[in-house]
Amino acid sequence: MAEKELLLSVQDLKKQFGEREILKGISFNVNKGDVVCIIGPSGSGKSTLIRCVNFLEQPTDGVIAYCGKNVLETFKNLPLYRTKVGMVFQQFNLFNNMTVLENCMVGQVKVLGKDKETARNTAMKYLEHVGMASYINAKPHQLSGGQKQRVAIARALALEPEVLLMDEPTSALDPEMVGEVLAVMKELADEGLTMVIVTHEMAFARDVSSRVIFIDQGVVAEESSPEEIFSAPKNQRTKDFLSRFNLGK
Amino acid sequence: MATMPDSFFSWVVFLLNEYGGVLIQGAGVTLLLALVGTFIGCVIGLAVGIVQTIPEDPNAGCFKNSLIRGVKAVLSSYVEIFRGTPMIVQAMVVYYGAMSLFDIDMSAMFAGFLVVSINTGAYMAETVRGGIESIDAGQREAAVAIGMDHFQTMRFVVLPQALRNIMPQIGNNLIINIKDTSVLNVISVTELYFASKSAAGVYYRYFEIFFITCIIYFIMTFTASRILRWLESKMDGPKDYQLVEYDPMADPCGHFQVTNKKGR
Ligand SMILES: Nc1ncnc2c1ncn2[C@@H]1O[C@H](COP(=O)(O)OP(=O)(O)O)[C@@H](O)[C@H]1O
Ligand SMILES: [Mg+2]
Repeated sequence: MAEKELLLSVQDLKKQFGEREILKGISFNVNKGDVVCIIGPSGSGKSTLIRCVNFLEQPTDGVIAYCGKNVLETFKNLPLYRTKVGMVFQQFNLFNNMTVLENCMVGQVKVLGKDKETARNTAMKYLEHVGMASYINAKPHQLSGGQKQRVAIARALALEPEVLLMDEPTSALDPEMVGEVLAVMKELADEGLTMVIVTHEMAFARDVSSRVIFIDQGVVAEESSPEEIFSAPKNQRTKDFLSRFNLGK
Repeated sequence: MATMPDSFFSWVVFLLNEYGGVLIQGAGVTLLLALVGTFIGCVIGLAVGIVQTIPEDPNAGCFKNSLIRGVKAVLSSYVEIFRGTPMIVQAMVVYYGAMSLFDIDMSAMFAGFLVVSINTGAYMAETVRGGIESIDAGQREAAVAIGMDHFQTMRFVVLPQALRNIMPQIGNNLIINIKDTSVLNVISVTELYFASKSAAGVYYRYFEIFFITCIIYFIMTFTASRILRWLESKMDGPKDYQLVEYDPMADPCGHFQVTNKKGR
């Protein structure tokens, strides 16, 4: 494989809420084209971690570097950085006052300053990609959960980010809708999109990711290839955690 | 002079003929005060409400944060003072206070606009703040995550939703203002109540005149309330949507199972 290009680097990231230290010094790298899955028990700090990466939460300490440069020093305005690092939320968070199409256009027009025609074409491209092109006139409350999440993915992609962060993108979905969203995510992975995904979908992590990070009690307890972590986990806590999932190889 | 009326209804008809014009004029002034006052009040309330919901930015300097805190303190005392005193007293203080303290002889009408606007602004500020805070934090986060700044987040995502949600309160304020501008009679604004009182004094027919006045007030508030309802339903947009095509990915056949490894 060719020389890997370092895109994101998290260095000794710490986050405290009041007196409680939730993240206790987390470090990892994300190379271009990587699909990094973050797994771990609930309450271990996965959401906090991924929210710190695009500064929805203010890290207490540590460095987030993008393309080798400290984000807080390089990007005087975080908004520019955030257009490069897209985010997909567990609760979708589509803009309720906009149609599907407007959801996918507003960032391009208002933040990137594209003209409406270009923005519309780009939005349509990604809506087609997630199979939602026919719903452009619908409002979020008229869609199913799976459809909302696919639109949310298209909204993030419409800004053509370098990395896509996802925080449990399928956890709020009814079981029968999980598949359609995972299918979209797999397709994006196959196309080489760089992604950091917090997930409880172990089959997806095992089969799609290039690296898996197991977070426990605010630290990286284990990080390795999916083959290793799922067939021969080194850490006892990883073993215990994974034993709860029936992976039916 | 014609013979005087001898029953309730003939008095009503007689007074309508005689003072209908005056009352309608008074009603016009009332409506003007209420509409302009509510509108300016909403603008004030919006501005104050937005400032009061600016979050503290941990990346900004200490100076900027203490400036914001200072402005917020001034604004919340404005809200407390004007919500906490009767409008009738505010009218007296503003009108006569301007005269004796600053030697400004503003017209009663101008003082009226001022008092209604500032008073409504104080109420609307709280309503707007509540409206903004009632919008799910996820909406704001999603806007921030696609690179919007605080102003854009407000302008394109939060406020449109907050405004829709507080429309009933805006309507409520308009209706309250139509009625409560009557207190401005204490500074001789010739609104509907003032006009009625003057008209009633001529023949000492208080009941008949105020019966008419009552009906005029009700027509105004009822019409306002209907128009606002209609506006609200307009804001909601169509109840359904046109499907442009069939959705090929909505497949209800259960879980996605990845079988083949990615080829990278
Ligand atoms: N805004 C917050 N204020 C205080 N505590 C928080 C906040 N957000 C998260 N926490 C705490 O941080 C811990 C980790 O939360 P989270 O990152 O959501 O875990 P996970 O996503 O792994 O389930 C939890 O104990 C949670 O209560
Ligand atoms: Mg979480």
